[in-house]
Amino acid sequence: MAQTRPAVGLLYNPATPDLVSHAPDLVEYIAAMPDRLWFDFGPGEPGRRFHRTLEAIQEVKRHAKGRILAGHGIGLSLPSAVPMDEVFLDAVARMSEDLGGFQWYTEHLSVFITPRGSVPNAQAGLGLPVVYDDETFEIVGSKLRRMRDVLGCPLALENGSFFTPVPDIDVTEPQFLNRLHGEGLCDTLLDIHNLYVGWRNGGVSPADYMEELDSDAVIEIHLAGGDDFAGFYMDSHSGLTPPEVWQLAFDYVPRFNRLRAITFEFQETYYEKITPEALVEELRWMHQLADLCAVESPIQEMYLEVAHAG
Amino acid sequence: MLAEFQQALADLTASPELCIKVRQDPGVLLERYELTEREWRRLVGIVNHKGMECACIVYRANRLAPLALNIPLTCKALGSKLREVASEFWTACPETNVHFFIETDKFCWFLRSKLTEGGDFPSEVWPVLLWEHGIVAEAIKESYIEA
Repeated sequence: MAQTRPAVGLLYNPATPDLVSHAPDLVEYIAAMPDRLWFDFGPGEPGRRFHRTLEAIQEVKRHAKGRILAGHGIGLSLPSAVPMDEVFLDAVARMSEDLGGFQWYTEHLSVFITPRGSVPNAQAGLGLPVVYDDETFEIVGSKLRRMRDVLGCPLALENGSFFTPVPDIDVTEPQFLNRLHGEGLCDTLLDIHNLYVGWRNGGVSPADYMEELDSDAVIEIHLAGGDDFAGFYMDSHSGLTPPEVWQLAFDYVPRFNRLRAITFEFQETYYEKITPEALVEELRWMHQLADLCAVESPIQEMYLEVAHAG
Repeated sequence: MLAEFQQALADLTASPELCIKVRQDPGVLLERYELTEREWRRLVGIVNHKGMECACIVYRANRLAPLALNIPLTCKALGSKLREVASEFWTACPETNVHFFIETDKFCWFLRSKLTEGGDFPSEVWPVLLWEHGIVAEAIKESYIEA
């Protein structure tokens, strides 16, 4: 029986081309953020709202060629108690089309847009925690249905890193993600570093979280590094994946049978500090992890049998 | 109301001063926002959580990052005034923009108006602000190349 394994890749940023040039074969997958490929002047802007940075888009296209491409967004703020930003969603769909089509699209399970701001897409300044209850589920679910119609690709939501969990909630975050998956609305992008950030700052144990999460829901994982500041551990994407996060990854990720990608995130301003050589080594570790996740694929086996039948 | 809860949480995260007020008198939240009893209790719990301080720090760090990156000389020229003027800006313009150039442009216009009003600023702020704001404005203008 043939085996499939998740692809190894990067969340695209302006330093990505240089890193890829150091190890082109180690990068099988690119996640592009539409939000970083345009200037969004907001719904109130007279005239054109989105001004796309054409040069950057061309560069993403060049690097996505021959690789798996997915989209990763931050601007739709699905749990916000505001209507879906349809113009934004259309712009994401157009970006997907121009880049050759996202194979899947991920967003954050965090509140980024505030409902009562002075402008329609007022940003909160950081991802705020979510109230996990039926009301939020309905808001997120209806927006996911709309996204699926417009984007036409699988969707996944990413767990956030919160410093202030909402007390007295109806369900836990993994239970909320499990329900979204169970009702066929979306899969999960599990950011293991975010789990580590939460735990370092007094939150739940990452192991307990992953035990509770439906392992069939996870289609992508994020790895990243952070740093200590003012007595807290920050999700700054300023370094390599910490050993504790690697340990969690090697312990739990092979359980995720539907995993499609292992993604490393870093902030481009830290690129020189981290060094390309260290990042290449990080990619090699990610391939080790991907190899451990190789699963036998009956669908691929059937495809090969049919393809070779003639 | 969920929308009111989310707005209150955003406002608290953006304002350490409001957090202090709410810790001293949780009733402040009910005067400002239409909240259920449960939402109010949740917010009081959040504002008294030790992580709230961190959320406020991250909010300010996220808003400072575009300025430090795009107008570093202006930040340096402002010196000890940076904290004061940045806090004033964040209060006057609580909504951030995820695009660093647009966020910086908003700050530059804010600072220019403060300088025009004749506040007590170091003399070297004006020339570096004009120069760096020009670079930011040019970067935004270049985004208009799409036909």
